[in-house]
Amino acid sequence: MTELLQQLVDGIGRGSIYALLALGIAVIFGVMHLVNFAHGELITVSAYVSYALFTLGLDWWALVPAILVSSMLTALGIEFAAFRWVRNSSDFTMVLTSFGVHFVVQALFIMGVSANRRTFARPSWLFETVSVGGVNLEIYDLAVIGFTLVTLAGTVWLVRRTMFGMTLRAAAEDFEAARLMGVRSNRVIRGAFVLSGILAGVASVFWLMRTGQADPTAGLTPMLKGVLAALIGGLGSLGGAVLGGLALGLVEVLLISRLPDGLVGLTDGMVFVCIALLFVFRPQGMVTIRRAERV
Amino acid sequence: MGPTSRRLRAASRGFGMRNDPARHVLGPILGSVVLFGLLVGGALAYTATGGAARDDLVTQMLINAIVVTGIGVYVGNTGVMSFGHIGFGAIAGYTFAVLAISPERKTQIIPDAPFGLAEVSLHPAVATLAAIGVTLVAAFIIGLGLTRSGARTGAISAAVITLALLFVVHEVARNWTDLTGGGRSGISFSLGNKLEGRTWIYVLLFVSILVARLFRQTRVGRLAQAAREDDLAARAMGINPATHQMVALLLSVVIVAVGSALRVYALGVITPRFFFFEYTLITLAMLIVGGRNSVTGAVLGTVVMTIGLEGMRYVAGPDVNVAALDWLLRDGLTGIFLGGAMLGFMIFRSSGLLDDWELDTWLLRLRLRRRSERPDAPPVAAESPPPQASTLATSEVTVDFGGFRALEGAHVAVEGGEVVGLIGPNGAGKTTLLNVIGGVVRPSSGRCIAAGRDLTGAPTHVVARGGLVRTFQNLRLFGSLTTQENVEVAALVAERHRSGRPGPDTETLLRGVGLWELRGRRARELDYGNARRLELARAAAARPDFLLLDEPTSGMSDAESLEMIHRVRTTAAAIGAGVLVIDHDLNFIVGICDRVYTLDQGKIIAVGTPAEIQANPLVQAAYLGSDAGGHRKSH
Repeated sequence: MTELLQQLVDGIGRGSIYALLALGIAVIFGVMHLVNFAHGELITVSAYVSYALFTLGLDWWALVPAILVSSMLTALGIEFAAFRWVRNSSDFTMVLTSFGVHFVVQALFIMGVSANRRTFARPSWLFETVSVGGVNLEIYDLAVIGFTLVTLAGTVWLVRRTMFGMTLRAAAEDFEAARLMGVRSNRVIRGAFVLSGILAGVASVFWLMRTGQADPTAGLTPMLKGVLAALIGGLGSLGGAVLGGLALGLVEVLLISRLPDGLVGLTDGMVFVCIALLFVFRPQGMVTIRRAERV
Repeated sequence: MGPTSRRLRAASRGFGMRNDPARHVLGPILGSVVLFGLLVGGALAYTATGGAARDDLVTQMLINAIVVTGIGVYVGNTGVMSFGHIGFGAIAGYTFAVLAISPERKTQIIPDAPFGLAEVSLHPAVATLAAIGVTLVAAFIIGLGLTRSGARTGAISAAVITLALLFVVHEVARNWTDLTGGGRSGISFSLGNKLEGRTWIYVLLFVSILVARLFRQTRVGRLAQAAREDDLAARAMGINPATHQMVALLLSVVIVAVGSALRVYALGVITPRFFFFEYTLITLAMLIVGGRNSVTGAVLGTVVMTIGLEGMRYVAGPDVNVAALDWLLRDGLTGIFLGGAMLGFMIFRSSGLLDDWELDTWLLRLRLRRRSERPDAPPVAAESPPPQASTLATSEVTVDFGGFRALEGAHVAVEGGEVVGLIGPNGAGKTTLLNVIGGVVRPSSGRCIAAGRDLTGAPTHVVARGGLVRTFQNLRLFGSLTTQENVEVAALVAERHRSGRPGPDTETLLRGVGLWELRGRRARELDYGNARRLELARAAAARPDFLLLDEPTSGMSDAESLEMIHRVRTTAAAIGAGVLVIDHDLNFIVGICDRVYTLDQGKIIAVGTPAEIQANPLVQAAYLGSDAGGHRKSH
């Protein structure tokens, strides 16, 4: 029972990070119909920013705001350099553009820093455990869950209660109609990238606190998890993305703890197969948004 | 025409290449020979001037050309994005390696191989065949999944499913160490046992290019391309894209499997990393840069990217001594080039260097230019078949969209050879009724019967094959196909599924709508009126019993729509079809229809001759918006 509770918290902690990433991917999909395979580059950039600041002798208190800002600026920069030019292109073009961004950023770090891994100190106190009613929990997991909740609450407020949120939702519903109603497409798309950058920044902070390393492919794994979670949630649906992230985290933790040793290496593969099967049988995802096409 | 070409023509008959063998058979063969010649000639010239390193580079490039051509067969013809072809390559590569490596070597590196595979020793050719077989099985299963997910141009679901394949194969390869040697060392051939010489590569490369090029001209290839351009329009012509996508997938996987086996054999080793993300992106970049819709493009892209990557490697290497480069680590240059090429082409030229241009289209155009100096033969009047003695009837069709009742008990009947109009104000349910007849919308209740067959709820392509072919309110042409090809595609379907019904040939149809002069123009380049006329001709080429026209004159001037009356009448008469036409333009409806149905708020409120309808007060109230009948107000 306690073991199950621990796994549950572990899974939700893991899933929270995925949820934040998936949410950013879903926001961008909503306004641009783009599956952003370059979302992980925000984490890569954050990782190198952390490494750079750490070598300057700064600690996590300074790192956290720096990561948030750099992640947001990177998101804007990528939009400006690449995605702006392929708006309204075919899905094929947009997906490959995001892969192109992924490659260029990765290569830039190989060129500018090194292909080798750089490490920086993890905040060790976060990984101590506390005992809550006989259940041993890492402070880290609790912090992740707590801050994710705060971030999600902020996002909900932003999306539901502000003018920007309203234009964002309108654009996700029907971009053309929103534009005709006076929503400025540049502004709402840029806003979506800023939002996704901040969400990815929060996710980066926790991801990097755990891994404590920077390398040119640092963003690949979290990006894939985020995309998978967003896919589970039905891509354009914000609530779906969060649920997808949590579900993905829980399934992973359960698989890792239940599978025999020889098969643990296949966890990611199994998750991928499940999602592929989901797409075979429910191509529109778990949480459906219907995009009726007029004929 | 010599005996050879006559035999070729006979051989090509089953593939839908019957018309114009120069375009569909001889041209592509000639083009493939020239392409192969240029590629190998250039490669030989390059190796003749350099050392062994150049030999290896050229070998890799030629093998990559096979793999990229193979991927192009699927991605190019169907438009479905696949990240999984290198996953198929991994399956083929491992199957080949495990079967072809000598047992002595295997007892050293993978002594615990399951199924007694450590003792197996096959000739490389046999091992390649086995690899093709195994990969085909995998591809068939994935293909079923893709079909089930409704794969079509740019579909995200297809990208996810194929990406999953790539990752799963990779993880299995890394973890099944007994069979694959694991992630580090992989499995390798013993020294001196790898591929020597390039004879086999040349042969297989030529065959791959030829097969890929000819496939584009086959019936299956052309129907797949039509579906790539517009999935729904293709279905409405009677095309079932699933079949053609599956054939394209299997063929492309065979070519990729051959290329992958060669790659493993030439390198003498395989590890999971060889067939993963990086190789996927390199091959995709090659395909995209060259032009994914063209075989010539696939080959050109392979050459261009190989030269570019090699150039970057040279700049990054020790031979170039430029101080400016030293403050950068040079390792990333190839990555920058790869990503940059991908980004640049996606942003500025997403159809690649060549788009769908082939060497032989150029050769053929030379021939056409000579020909066009001959005077055009006057259009041959087709013997129009007699109107079919069949009826299209819907009875009590009701459609609910959520809580909204779009149609309520709608019934229309069209006799063979009759022209029937369907009018009504915006939102009356006209297009919904057409969608029900066309199998796009399933009715909540009611039947739709054509020529005695119940087609209610049948898939769109079955409805089309049953003799009901439609046009679309918002034009759906096969944009990058030519005017002529648009019509030919429909005729290809008709040949197979409507063979009992005679119909005019493509030329007659195109001349009938005045588009013969523009036959070589891409459909997306046509102006609005011409595009409408082409949709009419394309629908007629499918030899329907009934043409369903959704606002054929919308956006046209008065003069144009008067002309359209004539075009619709003559075209329908030429194929002996009845017509059900929706339009807003009363002049058009009055000018063309024998009978008119009026639809208002989902119900048929009047039927009669155009004159009767115009005089009907209910119609005036609903359609002309006058208060004369007081019909609206009573609600």
